[in-house]
Amino acid sequence: MTCRRAKKLIPLFAGDDLRPRLTAAVREHIDSCPSCWRELREYRLALARAKAAAKEEGVPEWSDGEWRALMARVRPAARETKPAVVFTRPRWAAASVLGAVIGLAVLSVLFRDGRPGPRPDSGAAAMATAEADRGQDVISVTMVSPESGLQVVWFLDKNFDWKGDKE
Amino acid sequence: MRMNETEQELIAMVLSGRAEAFEPLVTPYRGPLIGLAYRLTRNREEALEVAQEAFLRAFRSLGRFDVSRSFRNWLFQIAANEARDRLRKRARERAAFEAAVEYGPATEDPEAGPDRQELRSDIMRLLGVLSPREREVFVLRDLEELDIRETAGVLGCSSISVRVNLSAARRKIRQAVRENLPHLEEGR
Repeated sequence: MTCRRAKKLIPLFAGDDLRPRLTAAVREHIDSCPSCWRELREYRLALARAKAAAKEEGVPEWSDGEWRALMARVRPAARETKPAVVFTRPRWAAASVLGAVIGLAVLSVLFRDGRPGPRPDSGAAAMATAEADRGQDVISVTMVSPESGLQVVWFLDKNFDWKGDKE
Repeated sequence: MRMNETEQELIAMVLSGRAEAFEPLVTPYRGPLIGLAYRLTRNREEALEVAQEAFLRAFRSLGRFDVSRSFRNWLFQIAANEARDRLRKRARERAAFEAAVEYGPATEDPEAGPDRQELRSDIMRLLGVLSPREREVFVLRDLEELDIRETAGVLGCSSISVRVNLSAARRKIRQAVRENLPHLEEGR
């Protein structure tokens, strides 16, 4: 191995980070080359000094308050992530919901045309609308109070102009 | 460093919905994680934020953690990613600010102001001569003492890439110790 090649590998050799085959080759060269040996020593010294400086300086520490505040933030995060569990429910639950939705859709189609009509007891005031066919000249609208039984009928012509009322 | 049984049990408890098991799971890594974040960001406040975000992300992603891996290294990976994102964001913001006010060229260290206490320490001055990638590799391998494969796993790169960056980082550190911090070379 040449000095040039060894000097390229010394930074990794200094921290025992070379592959075994290269490690043996570099060691062999360094044992017989004072210049490369000095360079290796410099690297090892610099690394040792950097590590010592890092240890000396220390690092910031969490205060108890900061740590407690962080752990308190984990709890809401736990609740936020809960909905994901829904997707792990059994398949029959999802199938049941789907069946119910389809059933409701079918029922709404079956009962869409005219049945059941407005019922007097279903609200404060029920309203029945007389449907006008194309040739009809007068339309009547009947409103029935469920409490008093009072009925009011409005009559409108085909242009929806007021024609009169009857109680 | 493989996971121990206690960690596995605590992880299972957290995943079963017992969030209170998270604290004993991560408490041993309180110091190491903030230490790593501090070395990478070179700023105490930012380090606290990085470490906090790393713990929260770890909690949210715990279901995806591969139990055959080291839990510590997984936390380190999250923290390193978070620190990298923040450094990039900070650099972009700084560049945008300088462009907006025509403040002149960026200072030598684009990551920090010149008066910060942290940058006056020897180790922070040494880390300041490294590129962000070299710093990540140097901190993980030489200061946190992960091996090459673990470092590569944490950084999501190849062992070859780690060796290339580590070699460059050690060269720069040696040069910096020799030129700028002779008192370190002499052993004080």
